[in-house]
Amino acid sequence: MAKESFDKEIQFLRLLALSGGGYDRQQFAGRLGISVHTFDKTVRRLREVSGDADFADLFRYGYADSAEPVLLFLYRAKSMKESESRRLPLILISLKGNPQTAAELLDACCKQLPVEAAMPDEKTIRSDLRYLEEVGVIHRQPGGRPYRYILNNDLTDCLSQKELIDLYEFVDIMANTQIPSVQGYLLRDNLKKALKSAVSEEQWDDALLEPFSYKYHYDARILDEAHLYTLLRMIRLRKRISFQYFSPKNKKSYAAKDTNPLFGRENEARRESTLPLKVVYDHQYGRWYLIGSAAKGRFVKFRMEGMIEIAEEEEMPEEHVALKKAALDERMRRSWLIDTGEIVTVRARFYRPGSGQADFIEERVRLQGQWGQIVEEDEQSFIYEIEVNGITEIRPWLRSFGSSCEVLEPAELRQSFIEEWKEIAAYYEVSN
Amino acid sequence: MKSPIEKIFSYQLASRLEDTGVYTLTSQERAWLRTMLEHPSAAEALEPSTIEKLQACTLEDEMPNLLDGLEEKAGSRDMQTVHPLLRPIRQILRHRQGMMIQCMTKKGKLNDPQPGLPCKLEYSMVKREWYLHWYNSRTRSPMHTRLCHIVFVDEIPLSPARYEEWSAQAQQKLQGGHRYEATVEVIRSFNAELTRILHAFSCFDKRVEFDEKEQIYRIYLSYSGSESQYVLTKLRFLGKRVRVVEGEYLKRRMRESTRKALALYGIGTEPTFSPSTVIPLDVESAACRQDSTAKIPD
Repeated sequence: MAKESFDKEIQFLRLLALSGGGYDRQQFAGRLGISVHTFDKTVRRLREVSGDADFADLFRYGYADSAEPVLLFLYRAKSMKESESRRLPLILISLKGNPQTAAELLDACCKQLPVEAAMPDEKTIRSDLRYLEEVGVIHRQPGGRPYRYILNNDLTDCLSQKELIDLYEFVDIMANTQIPSVQGYLLRDNLKKALKSAVSEEQWDDALLEPFSYKYHYDARILDEAHLYTLLRMIRLRKRISFQYFSPKNKKSYAAKDTNPLFGRENEARRESTLPLKVVYDHQYGRWYLIGSAAKGRFVKFRMEGMIEIAEEEEMPEEHVALKKAALDERMRRSWLIDTGEIVTVRARFYRPGSGQADFIEERVRLQGQWGQIVEEDEQSFIYEIEVNGITEIRPWLRSFGSSCEVLEPAELRQSFIEEWKEIAAYYEVSN
Repeated sequence: MKSPIEKIFSYQLASRLEDTGVYTLTSQERAWLRTMLEHPSAAEALEPSTIEKLQACTLEDEMPNLLDGLEEKAGSRDMQTVHPLLRPIRQILRHRQGMMIQCMTKKGKLNDPQPGLPCKLEYSMVKREWYLHWYNSRTRSPMHTRLCHIVFVDEIPLSPARYEEWSAQAQQKLQGGHRYEATVEVIRSFNAELTRILHAFSCFDKRVEFDEKEQIYRIYLSYSGSESQYVLTKLRFLGKRVRVVEGEYLKRRMRESTRKALALYGIGTEPTFSPSTVIPLDVESAACRQDSTAKIPD
């Protein structure tokens, strides 16, 4: 699949996941900056990949507690040539537990491919083997030429059935609760097949495959892992990057490349460039950011979902990058998320639930309050204090406690809470 | 480690290998596993000998310190990824047996052991904690207990007939929970923040509609009783960006929230109301309840 098409599909799936499939075709296409025709084509293609008859329904149900990541099929969308998609499975099947040379594999392929199919030559088989070895799916056996290859399933072959079940459950938990998770989900799919082979039909229980459920997941987070490794690699290689950036405040999240050069310039989105220093995952919203270095010691922040067509640029000297990274670490030490603004001390009084209830307020403050401390406490309430860069990012969290949280300092934040509660109160007076 | 967009993961290949018993394990997957084996929860979930075997199989698949460039922010303290009770409870579930279970209350009081049937193990990404949904066969009620409140759990043998009977009763009670609907409107001046707002609601079952004429986005939420507290937390989290337009319960709770919050700052219609007498109502108690049949009054 062309790179451009891939970026489009990521944006497409994100919009679908976030909106729950509620937009009509015209609105959806408009948001993505594509034509309704392209919209229909993309839906057709994704439907084919996902194997689901009613595509939009994927996003409607079971959202809260499904362990099956609906968006994973994005990573299954890379297309292959028809001939390759027939040949590779034959090679893999032949190599299961049975070491073979390229010539033997060529024979096996020629015997099994349908008569009307184009027959591969040995060079093609060798290049397939090179690819499979490179991705780690097969390995070469010790010994001289001609080399023999075998399917590398050591990971599952060395385990007893009980160990395999333990591993499956461990992978299920880690893929669902940790980041990055895409490879974990892919591994989970393979372990499913390993389990099916290892457990006899009489013993089989479908519940083996869905051992746990997970509530309040941010499903769209896995879409950004498509660009994650490119960015992490650039950070490691100290390379500047350039990319096309659609700010989240921009109404369109994707614009099709114009085939008509006359319109090309007019529609060109901003191309940004930066020295990438750090990728940040925000648990509060399930979103990803890239932080880069800009002129005059400033740092720039990009939402990863808005970045497409990332290109590698020049390498920067090690010392320069190390200095920038150290400066960023220092500036972000007090970032609730990614704010690198001035340090402010925020003090807030939290009221305990009272009337003999368990103190879930303190429990939640301790769980989510990051490096903040409880500095004073009595039976009714306690005071939480934290030094943060700016007040913008901590604000929603404090507000989410409603009337269990009273902001004490800074005065400006206290005043703005009063104003905001008044505004919200007005919404509900009107609707009364 | 490369991007996980590879033709080896392609659905075309996967569908041809379906039912052949052949599957492919890539270095990417092994490198990921290797990283996860270093997490402290690996030792909780796997036997030391299993970890050793897996490490030996992943030796060549190192993920070159790429993850150094990644930082996680605003997450909960990672309380518990794998709980020691997961394995024994999973085993009872796999054996299709009953259990004797003893739990503590939220305030630490020890309850008498109860017979029952484990139904589902669930992890809350918000609380970073494990819960057991189970059926109390003595009181015939569906239960929802944090694993950290379970003192002991022991398998008790059930005849297949009894298992089926309890299982059917449990399913009926667990699935019988009512679902609630609400409509949340994005305040037009915050339309530019739509993606942030949709992200905040992305862990709920919902549908979004855009009214072209009025330029208004409406989010139609559907949630269960036990989720209502979390919906409220999200609404307060977003503050003035959104307004509940349908759903009496949420509207009433938001009204209460604002009235009591303003009272904290000495603003309100009730002169006797002072912070020291406030009993906050903005609680997330439903998520901590032992009994998942949290009632919503309307």
